[in-house]
Amino acid sequence: MRYAEWCTAAPTLEADIAAAAMGLDDIGHSRVLYGCLKELDGEGDGEDRSYRNLAFLDRPWRAWSQFVAANVVLDTAFTLMIEALAGGKVEVLRTRLRKMLQEERYHYLHGHSWMKEADAGKAIAGAWREAVEWFGPQGSDVDELQAAGALSLTVLELRARLRERLDRPEPPISIDWSGWDQDRRRTSDGRIDQPTLDMIQGLAERRYMPGG
Amino acid sequence: MEYVRVHPQVREYEVFARKARAEALHLVGSVVAPDDDLARAYARATYDEERWVELVIVPKDALLTLWAPGEEGPDS
Repeated sequence: MRYAEWCTAAPTLEADIAAAAMGLDDIGHSRVLYGCLKELDGEGDGEDRSYRNLAFLDRPWRAWSQFVAANVVLDTAFTLMIEALAGGKVEVLRTRLRKMLQEERYHYLHGHSWMKEADAGKAIAGAWREAVEWFGPQGSDVDELQAAGALSLTVLELRARLRERLDRPEPPISIDWSGWDQDRRRTSDGRIDQPTLDMIQGLAERRYMPGG
Repeated sequence: MEYVRVHPQVREYEVFARKARAEALHLVGSVVAPDDDLARAYARATYDEERWVELVIVPKDALLTLWAPGEEGPDS
């Protein structure tokens, strides 16, 4: 959604198109992941309509540097988690996430190249902190899932891989984990606004339907 | 051709593709980027609507011209 908002506002025409393409990719990835969840949630009713997102996505990005930071840091963190899931022992995840990783490779190439050009240091530091919050503290659910074999990487390994992919040391990050919400995977309050949430869930488009 | 771009230095890349192994690669377009990685990302984003079995990019300045439109070739 945030990628799509930049599909007519990026610094070059090619970057406009890439923003749209990456947004479409991520919609597809969401559909795959929700499909996996539905299968794994065998006894659940699949009707959890709540929505959670990183604080970085709460509001539209006002500068290209924020796009670049999300693209290179958050998208790479997401890719690493998908790699960890694909490398775990849950069969539905092992088999269905491969194509997602192929597409994410191009997100990385885009973000990493722009990171070298854009003056995005401050935005990258902010996104990096949120990626660390998203991975969670040591010993939490991610490490438990890794110990159980569902994930192939621990929290510390995820953070190390992120440093490797971004070719730079992790910025100083101080997190008070006592305020960390495990479900929302963040320490700060806030959320996206209701009109944006309606758009993501397709509710805003209902007004275009006959009799809508 | 001169480009007014955000990046101080860019290259133009020609994009080639084919839909079947039996086909030859053919030119489908071009992208402009400051490095090979971004050119790959741009080419994939711009030209992946078709179900290509192969998609490659070549820096335009790597092409060796024998003759160009308006110039005399050996059969002129």
